[in-house]
Amino acid sequence: MTSRKLLGSVAAAALMGLAALPLHAQEGTLTWGKPAEITGFDVHVAGTVASWEMYQMVYETLLSADDELGLQAGLAESWEQTSDTTYTLTIREGAAFSNGRAVTTDDVIGSFERIKNPETASYWSHQLGDIASIEAVGDRTVQVELAKPHATFLPALAHITAAILPMKELREGSFDPTQEMMGSGPFMVENHNQDESWTLKANPHYWRDGYPLAATLEVPIIPDESARIAAIRDGRIDFTTFENPDVQRMLGTNAQVEIQPQQTTNYYRLDVNALKEDSAFFDKRVRQAMNLSLDREAINNFVFDGSSAVDYPVPAAFGKDACRDLDTYAMPRDERLEKARGLLEEAGNTSPEVALTISSANPVLGRIGQVVQQNLSEAGFEVEINQVPTAEYLQKVFTDGDFDFSASWLAGYTDPGMVIKWWDPNFAVWNLSFQQNVPELSEALKEVSSIADEAVRDEKLVEICEMIDDGANLLALVGKSDYVVYRNDQVEVVVADRSGSANTYQYIAEFDPK
Amino acid sequence: MRTAIYWLSRIWRSDALSAFGLASLLLLIFLGIFGPLLPLGDPTQIAAGPRLGPPTPQHPFGTDELGRSFLPRVVQGIRATFLLSAIAVLISAMIGTFLGMAAGYFGRAVDIMVARGADILFAFPALLVGLLVAAVLGPGQVSAIAVIAIATLPLLIRVVRSVTLSVAGRGFVTAAEVAGASAGRILLLHILPNVMGAVMVQLTYALSIGMIIESALSFLGLGVQPPDASLGSLLRQGSAYLTIAPWMAMSSGAVLSLAIMSVNLVGDAVRDALEPLKGRDLT
Amino acid sequence: MRLLLYLLPRVAAALITLLGVSVLVFLALRMIPGGYADILLGPFVTPEAREAISQRYGLDQPMIVQYWRWLVSLLQGDFGISMVTQKPVIHEFIRRAPVTLELAFIALGLALAVGLPLGVASGIRRGGRKGLDAARVVGAIGASVPDFVVGSVLIFIFSVWSLWFRVGGYVPFTDDPVGNLQTMLLPGLTLSLFGIALVLRTTRDAVLRVMTEGYITAAVARGETPRAIIRLHILRNAAIPVVTVVTTYFGFLLGGAVVVEVLFSIPGFGLFTFNGLLNRDYAIVQAGVLLAAGVFVAINMTADFLYAVIDPRVGS
Repeated sequence: MTSRKLLGSVAAAALMGLAALPLHAQEGTLTWGKPAEITGFDVHVAGTVASWEMYQMVYETLLSADDELGLQAGLAESWEQTSDTTYTLTIREGAAFSNGRAVTTDDVIGSFERIKNPETASYWSHQLGDIASIEAVGDRTVQVELAKPHATFLPALAHITAAILPMKELREGSFDPTQEMMGSGPFMVENHNQDESWTLKANPHYWRDGYPLAATLEVPIIPDESARIAAIRDGRIDFTTFENPDVQRMLGTNAQVEIQPQQTTNYYRLDVNALKEDSAFFDKRVRQAMNLSLDREAINNFVFDGSSAVDYPVPAAFGKDACRDLDTYAMPRDERLEKARGLLEEAGNTSPEVALTISSANPVLGRIGQVVQQNLSEAGFEVEINQVPTAEYLQKVFTDGDFDFSASWLAGYTDPGMVIKWWDPNFAVWNLSFQQNVPELSEALKEVSSIADEAVRDEKLVEICEMIDDGANLLALVGKSDYVVYRNDQVEVVVADRSGSANTYQYIAEFDPK
Repeated sequence: MRTAIYWLSRIWRSDALSAFGLASLLLLIFLGIFGPLLPLGDPTQIAAGPRLGPPTPQHPFGTDELGRSFLPRVVQGIRATFLLSAIAVLISAMIGTFLGMAAGYFGRAVDIMVARGADILFAFPALLVGLLVAAVLGPGQVSAIAVIAIATLPLLIRVVRSVTLSVAGRGFVTAAEVAGASAGRILLLHILPNVMGAVMVQLTYALSIGMIIESALSFLGLGVQPPDASLGSLLRQGSAYLTIAPWMAMSSGAVLSLAIMSVNLVGDAVRDALEPLKGRDLT
Repeated sequence: MRLLLYLLPRVAAALITLLGVSVLVFLALRMIPGGYADILLGPFVTPEAREAISQRYGLDQPMIVQYWRWLVSLLQGDFGISMVTQKPVIHEFIRRAPVTLELAFIALGLALAVGLPLGVASGIRRGGRKGLDAARVVGAIGASVPDFVVGSVLIFIFSVWSLWFRVGGYVPFTDDPVGNLQTMLLPGLTLSLFGIALVLRTTRDAVLRVMTEGYITAAVARGETPRAIIRLHILRNAAIPVVTVVTTYFGFLLGGAVVVEVLFSIPGFGLFTFNGLLNRDYAIVQAGVLLAAGVFVAINMTADFLYAVIDPRVGS
């Protein structure tokens, strides 16, 4: 260890408090029962949580979200916005890929270029905004110049899809991101048995000296909920995640098993197809009637046993007031049903027949669907449920737009300005297949991202929420919590109370095997 | 009608196990047909009781995770499981009998094509055929029927073909051919009646296989769509809550097993009656 | 020579069968809505990204070209690469082979150990009189209770009272023999129940049939002991149908028991193929189905061969 590095580690330890200086550093094995296998290796391409969760062990982003969903340093130790369109970011001293090579400005520039390159097929290319130029302005500093202001540029850097790859090795051909992983994060992949297990080892060149606390991270893939419950009960795994709130009851009383709910900015949502001409939902009034007849409280009570909460287009986790006064939320249900029937009559379609398309992979969605089915029948709708395999669901909804409405959940990310942008289909792109383009709304959304004053911005959000509600095109239902379950006799976990980017194990480096 | 009564009484009298099978089969069919009319409650009513409530006099099979009473759901499941399997197996029997007779009677190219086709289908693991067909057609009742029909088809083709082969060489068929009867007439009047017995026996096996495949598909999430239920989809629903609400998986699993068993037992009795094997003691 | 003439057409038929299976599975997979691009890109799929992914994996080629390429590489022993991992799928199948084999042997062993003696006993007893015998009840239950019902009951019992067995968490036998059996015995038992019933019923029927034959009457008349009659006449003559169903059953087991593997999280062929289907990872499903069919066909041919050996009349 060079003296410089040693100094760095002492400084880091001082910063984190001496207690954090690990006495038994880099020993022991953590076992994480992962619910699903990745769907691909390429961190810039895969759009699934199951993949993100694994990338987060290996790769790093320049920024990350803190517990208040603000931004904190990541691979970049500092950052600055010097004008509406100009940003500078400085890479952390000592940051290195797991092969020992230091992370350079070239890696950052190359990674951004790779994301923007249409051949990469990265869905994050839109989220980064319109990058006019990106260049190194020092050994470790890059300057990004956007063609036009893009308020969510920095939050977009905190999402794992904006990970920094070792571009030198990639160009030389010694690293192929489509079939292996090499990052600057706490762990590196040692072994992978598809659909079965991963073995990760601590990255010896990780910039945080003494971390990760565990030397090895074993990751068995256990999709079946009951099998995961059995595994945590008999201590074969140290920690895992569940989406089903009933897991608290299923685990029963076991002093060694603890449950930590993590609030997320994610919520369960309905995508309503406003663009399919032969769908009853083509008529805005029918969509509005549907929105009014939903009983979000009932969804919370019957599907989540009351443990979730009604959610709004601007996620409740951000603590904004927007949307709360709308009829959809504030009016008593009887009156809402009355109003819904009135709208249906106006539309000349008092018993619309619609089909709800859901991915069969997530049983929670099936339950939500059945409550929605019953809710809507009270206003005169006839709902048929189609639970289809995930691939089919994705194609029908996001490529073909061949559906009436569908249930899923929305990643709220880390900034209300980011999630609200989804209502501008030309920006979001993924919902072009069913989201109506409302020019005034798009205009308002552009405006809100450039408002710096918090109060003014919140006011604008209220206005936007009304427009969103009027379109009834993409509806928030109830909040989505993740449940981190761990063995307190085997591991000490650090889990943020809130998470925005499906980054539940953000502090994996601090997980301490006992 | 008289033959039906004859068969029923014959099975009833044959032995205790067969009688048990017949009785439970009749009971299940009764429930399947008249279930919706019985005062059991609404199978789709959410919050009819507490979430995941244990069995009570009001909800004898407990309630599910949406507070629906589970007994009417099981009855609904019986209906779906029997109906889908029966329709599918009848379709399969018709197609299988036709193809099997054609292959056995005409021989040559027809036989090669049909027999090879049956071999190819037979070589597919039944559940994988089911998964593929369900994936192609999309989950739902139609695909459940198609899956069962396709999976049981090779079974029927093979049996009908071999019976036809043995019948076709017999004197009365040759006589009819010499007399100038058309192929269709021979198949219909001379061969079909001789094939029917074997088809009947295979039908019951196919029915129980069909019920197993349907419920396996539903169990893997590719079966009927909610709020409809089949016994397999109920079991899938219940197995998610096995540890805290075992009554769901246990009741639907027990009823499903009973349904398949009663079909098998009745099938055995029919077969024993058609092909009696009289052995003797060894002493 | 007799054996060769007997087997040659069978080998040819088997190859045609496998070719047919390959065409069907290839076509079926491409008719399924939703593709790997959807799975990889999630909701963020755009037409351009879809196009790029299709090109990357050769999915934009005409179907006949794709099939031909697959067939040609198959003949060279290359089963294709997984789109998820970009690695040859055959490696994963080879790695999983011991798991599926072990499960199959456990189930088959249990089926034979329980099914054969019960079947023979039941057949011989039934030969004389009517009535309820325990073996028939076992047979009826075994043939009727689906594996996922048995599995669910076992999981319930062993997860509520965490007895010695474990659900999930497979470890190779060579690493930890006890741990391996802790995870494999329950699924093996689950799978064997149907096998027990199958062997029992077939044996019973075969024995019953043999009992009607004249040579049994003759042997009884000659005053041979029941033990000798069973060994010399009954078992020998009842063997063929039993061999048939046992081989078919074994083929079924080797093809991957999807439901049981999914239920018990056993990393064998079945679970892998099932996941491949959900992920639209075509190469995995194609290889899985073809391997299952191949094993099935090969086992049936072995059975044919065994008949020819057991019974000299066959094929002559």
